[in-house]
Amino acid sequence: MNRISIFCILISLSFGNFASTDKDYDFNKDAYPFESEIKEELFYSLLFELRCPKCQSSNLAGSNSPISNDLKREVYELIKKDKSSDQIKTYLVERYGNFIIYNPPIEPATYVLWFGPLALILISIFSILFFRKRQIQ
Amino acid sequence: MKKLIDILPLVIFVILIGVLFSFLSNKNNQLETVLIDDTFPKFSLSSLEDDSRLLTQLDISELPALINVWATWCIACRVEHPFLMKLKRESIIPIYGLNYKDNRRKALELLKRDGNPFEFSIFDFEGRLAIDLGVYGAPETFFIDRNGVIRERHVGIVDDKIWEEKFAKYLYE
Repeated sequence: MNRISIFCILISLSFGNFASTDKDYDFNKDAYPFESEIKEELFYSLLFELRCPKCQSSNLAGSNSPISNDLKREVYELIKKDKSSDQIKTYLVERYGNFIIYNPPIEPATYVLWFGPLALILISIFSILFFRKRQIQ
Repeated sequence: MKKLIDILPLVIFVILIGVLFSFLSNKNNQLETVLIDDTFPKFSLSSLEDDSRLLTQLDISELPALINVWATWCIACRVEHPFLMKLKRESIIPIYGLNYKDNRRKALELLKRDGNPFEFSIFDFEGRLAIDLGVYGAPETFFIDRNGVIRERHVGIVDDKIWEEKFAKYLYE
């Protein structure tokens, strides 16, 4: 029982990362006025999904580097021109590569990224089962 | 045989740690270049030397050529500058500058003081052409072949070693 609760605590701690990256941006929101709320929402959701190419571990929303400000402006202008979320992502991937999106497409170059963790979990489960069985025997 | 299987988890663990640590010390965090083998993007920006002169991709006319992204705020560019001057002095390849998010007056002062290795510099104050090139810092250098196609890109300082390793081969195609 004790083991299970420790396991649960560890699992819940590992989710802490997701929570902290969410709602913090340190730039002036008034600098990007929109005529509709839908466009504004698209703008902010994209800022969280796009990665700053210079800082690499931060999204555009959380970065104030010159390049992320340029990219914010670029995203802003594209939304103003009625481009869709997919069109904007494609536009940026054509220039900066898959790296720029935090949610990269599933393709051979990203297989390790997508399936690596799952493979590790499966290997771990099978090894645990295998070795326990041997111990019992 | 039994022993081997017993130490297998440890072996896998050690290998995994080794692989992950090698990623940690891997300083090569450069982004892929999507534009390799594409033609140079279209642009329309003023010249650094003369703000009334509008430059476009057609002005990059002497090919093959290097496009060098530089700025006065970029310290590494100053380290790279003597090498660009050497390329210019020895007429190895024409270099076109992309003055990136800079102050026009300061940029001109620097060229006057330290020498100007560029045929001309494109004044990209807002980083527009830079975004089309996937630039995310300075210095960056692109090799454009005789057909106007981007063949190679280097992020960081170009020196003799990088020139020989990455760029020189395209010159003799």
